[in-house]
Amino acid sequence: MADTPDFLTLTRNRDGAGRTEMPIRRTIMTLIVLFCLAGLLNTFGQRPETSKAAASAASIKLYAPTRVRGGLYYEARFTIDARQDLKKATLVLDPGWIEGLTINTVEPSPIGEASRNGKLVLELGHIPAGKTYLLFLQVQVNPTNIGHRSQDVALYDGDSFLTSISREVTVFP
Amino acid sequence: MDIVFRALVVYLFVLVLTRAVGRRELSTLEPFDLILLVMIGDLVQQGVTQNDFSVTGSFLAVGTIGVLTVVFSYLPWRFQVLRPVLEGVPAILMQDGDVVEKNLRRHRLTQEEIAAAARVQNIGSLSEVRWAVLETNGQISFVKKGGDS
Repeated sequence: MADTPDFLTLTRNRDGAGRTEMPIRRTIMTLIVLFCLAGLLNTFGQRPETSKAAASAASIKLYAPTRVRGGLYYEARFTIDARQDLKKATLVLDPGWIEGLTINTVEPSPIGEASRNGKLVLELGHIPAGKTYLLFLQVQVNPTNIGHRSQDVALYDGDSFLTSISREVTVFP
Repeated sequence: MDIVFRALVVYLFVLVLTRAVGRRELSTLEPFDLILLVMIGDLVQQGVTQNDFSVTGSFLAVGTIGVLTVVFSYLPWRFQVLRPVLEGVPAILMQDGDVVEKNLRRHRLTQEEIAAAARVQNIGSLSEVRWAVLETNGQISFVKKGGDS
């Protein structure tokens, strides 16, 4: 039988080549497949979800993703259904709506903005009973903003609390 | 800081991915492979630098990749035990004109592909081959029965 080329042995390079390598390669590929499947199943965002809260005077619905990745653009849509006349509808957003996010636009523009205990206050104005108010936020995630942020939303009529949505956004790198 | 970390993570991921994909796939550079290579480069770049368009940022990213390249070529040179992990082991595909089916299966190779690689090296028939070895860089090397390679 022929001698093997230098530095090669039949035991190592013919019989043993890949014996330990193949299971490791298959394990790694399986992990990568699982990672991609997790991506398909929205584990890393950015499919929007609907959150709702209601009170006797009004209800609020928020349609926005709770999982996003650095650099992504997304939209948050607030739907306020007034069951009673709201003289001075006001949305109060947690700082997580601003922290590490770039607000590209808010439409329609609120009639006033303020800060209340560190939270962003958007004054929407009068919403007659039976009417719906839609507010759009166009947002981009800053790439360095990684982790969890509270993004609670509270609806007020003036200083009267009506209802709130409790939610959290997770930003993946 | 995070750009260095991102470059490190992406480098390690690409290293693991290339080892998992298999060396044979990476050694061929057909038109589709070339397009894939460009695509991967573009996707990787976005993940590393993201919205950083600065010269400093590119220096940090490229510098990190350069340092890691040196580190990962030094490690298998310095520690022999790491060579199979980081570089793989040459696999004998043919011995005395006979193919080693087990190794062909492991590396998803066919006899036709070995014959094609042999023709590139002016070997017309596999019966002339004494040794065919899948090297760690994905190339197939041949030693002819007469002693010529």
